[in-house]
Amino acid sequence: MLELFSYGDTGWGDEILMGLATTMKLAVATLPVGMIIGFLIAFAAMSGIRAVRYVGVGYTTIMRGLPEILTLFVVYNGAGLLLNSLIKWWNPEAEGTDFSPFLAGVIALAMVFGAFAAEVIRGAYNSLDKGQIEAAAAVGMTPQQTFWRIKLPQLWRFALPGIGNLWINMLKDTALVSVIALDDLMRMTKVAVGVTKQPFTFYLVACLIYWVLCVLSEMILSRMERHANRGVRRA
Amino acid sequence: MNPIEIMVSYWPRMLDGTLMTLKLTILGALIAGAISPWLALVRSHGSLIAQTPIRIYVSFVRGTPILAQLFLVFYGSGQFRPELMELGLWNFFRDPFNCAILVFVLNSTAYQTEIMRGGIQGVNLGEIEAAKAIGMTRMTILRRVIFPHAYRIAWPALSNEIILLMKASALASVVTVFDIMGRTRQIFSKTFDFSIYLWAALIYLAITSLFVFGWHRIERRLNRHILPRNNANAVS
Amino acid sequence: MIPMDPSGPILSAIDIRKSFGDVEVLKGISLDAKKHDVISILGASGSGKSTFLRCLNFLETPTSGKVIIHGDEINVQNGQPKMSVPIEDIRKRLGMVFQQFNLWTHRTVLENVMEGLIHVRKKSRGEARSIAENYIERVGLSQRVDAYPGHLSGGQQQRVAIARALAMEPDAILFDEPTSALDPELVGEVLKVMQSLAEEGRTMIVVTHEMAFAREVSSEVVFLHQGKVLEKGTPDEMFATPKSEEFKRFIASM
Ligand SMILES: Nc1ncnc2c1ncn2[C@@H]1O[C@H](COP(=O)(O)OP(=O)(O)OP(=O)(O)O)[C@@H](O)[C@H]1O
Ligand SMILES: [Mg+2]
Repeated sequence: MLELFSYGDTGWGDEILMGLATTMKLAVATLPVGMIIGFLIAFAAMSGIRAVRYVGVGYTTIMRGLPEILTLFVVYNGAGLLLNSLIKWWNPEAEGTDFSPFLAGVIALAMVFGAFAAEVIRGAYNSLDKGQIEAAAAVGMTPQQTFWRIKLPQLWRFALPGIGNLWINMLKDTALVSVIALDDLMRMTKVAVGVTKQPFTFYLVACLIYWVLCVLSEMILSRMERHANRGVRRA
Repeated sequence: MNPIEIMVSYWPRMLDGTLMTLKLTILGALIAGAISPWLALVRSHGSLIAQTPIRIYVSFVRGTPILAQLFLVFYGSGQFRPELMELGLWNFFRDPFNCAILVFVLNSTAYQTEIMRGGIQGVNLGEIEAAKAIGMTRMTILRRVIFPHAYRIAWPALSNEIILLMKASALASVVTVFDIMGRTRQIFSKTFDFSIYLWAALIYLAITSLFVFGWHRIERRLNRHILPRNNANAVS
Repeated sequence: MIPMDPSGPILSAIDIRKSFGDVEVLKGISLDAKKHDVISILGASGSGKSTFLRCLNFLETPTSGKVIIHGDEINVQNGQPKMSVPIEDIRKRLGMVFQQFNLWTHRTVLENVMEGLIHVRKKSRGEARSIAENYIERVGLSQRVDAYPGHLSGGQQQRVAIARALAMEPDAILFDEPTSALDPELVGEVLKVMQSLAEEGRTMIVVTHEMAFAREVSSEVVFLHQGKVLEKGTPDEMFATPKSEEFKRFIASM
């Protein structure tokens, strides 16, 4: 049993670890992109210009209502078709290519993450203390200084629990990319199952690995929350 | 083909897929809805020994991708084929629909348990004591005091959970269940017409909107007693 | 900048008007503060005291009127301010102390005081630090420089807020009911600091409900009623011989 998971030619330990590395790379690459989308959409949804506001609110409403796997296919196939027609238009003789599944994964996961993050950021923004922002203006800070030095650090504190949850959800959603042929943890497990014919054992191990990742994330997040809330009186 | 034509030729399949999505979601939500209040009761009032397995179960479900759970049940059951055959359960696990439902129920039960736990713990202790004081039995207190309150508190969160479940049901397509997502992929692989994905998105959004609308109406009924009365004779 | 008469006002507000929607809450208020003046603004709740104070540093933009600080003039017509310098330049010359303290909760006491010094006054860290420590000591909180605001009492927080305003070395400090949010036993420590500032000759404009402070510390008292200055004068003459019925009633209710 143990040699099944050993490292090297006979076992699947190394393959699974490589899959895990891909999963982590995907999640880590998605986070910043998702946060940027989240901020853009949040500010769009709070914009003073009505058309921009509609775009922001519309985006969150639609993205949050769609299955993640649908978004993934839309991005993967849609971007693939777009890419190929661009290539054809550029050079009619060229071969068609496949859109990079890693890139499709990052874009799709970040689009979903961003939609939910926008809501978290918007909520956090609305719970900022107006008095502290006025105090910044009163000492003569410019709006930009107020944003970077006062609003953003406090926004972080209010948004952290929500963003932490989204991180965990996104980590789990990375499993979807196995469906578009990216060699993540899930897909490497599938490969191992195909050879060993031990589906339960291997899928259970995959589940346990995800579980550990999530529990670890939760532990780190709760430390971060404690750090972010230092100096704030608990109610 | 233009987007209209594709729907004209494939609407029976998409309708069929829609019904399958609804079936997966409603069945999953209802079964989970029947189990979770009891687990939630144990989780909020039970002994530590009774609570521990529920905690582990909830943590496991929340900490693993649904897709992995689905593969664990659907493909994983194959590893125990002889044993399952002996038990007469193999026919159940062979069917991807059954496996999908099983996974969705396990999943939704975990989330709904957490939501209901919040609801139950939100019930005012004074009201429970008042019920005891007039001599209600435990079962009556549950039925008449605790659950009505708990559901009122949990209602909006339950709505979110059901929408999440509907979105998760799209994963069933990966194990060859033909729900909306399954039909969409099938049609796409045949036609390479991208617009079918947009139709699928539209259907999902329509289901969500209708559901949210209906749920709100029920919520208003549940909260009748605390809504402001809108009859004119209240103010004169 | 216009060359200034040293005995002239360092802060003037001329015919300040402010409407919220259709409601005019300030109906033409004028006020001059010379160096070393301590002006107490009194008035019933809703008379427009806070709004007026906030118009002075443009946390609220007046509907019309003129504010002159150190010769820099901001003229407002139809809610459109015309100014020769950026608004931040005006604000950094006026300190403000709020009723709710408004300390930045993610910064320690020291950081709260250093923030404006570094990022507005553009001091080096080291310089900012020594200035900040100096003013924190001034309000008696040297022991708590590394505490976060959430771990301080209201009175301590307000003293930090005063240090934060002082550290910017403003020409005048605006106080909006600095003791109203405090438990009664904490009011004294804040008033004591304010009194010592007045004795040092700082220019202060103070909205307050503390009659003792208005009477004993201030050099001038202004009584607002329904958005207008109904009476003003030295505290002695104001309290000894109130002219209007409204001010009489106001004193009696205190
Ligand atoms: N942002 C605003 N929008 C609309 N009305 C406002 C706003 N701010 C103040 N007001 C109104 O302006 C009037 C004056 O308010 P202000 O806060 O200046 O009174 P105040 O004299 O400071 O009272 P208090 O002693 O209660 O602090 C009040 O009627 C108030 O309701
Ligand atoms: Mg006020």
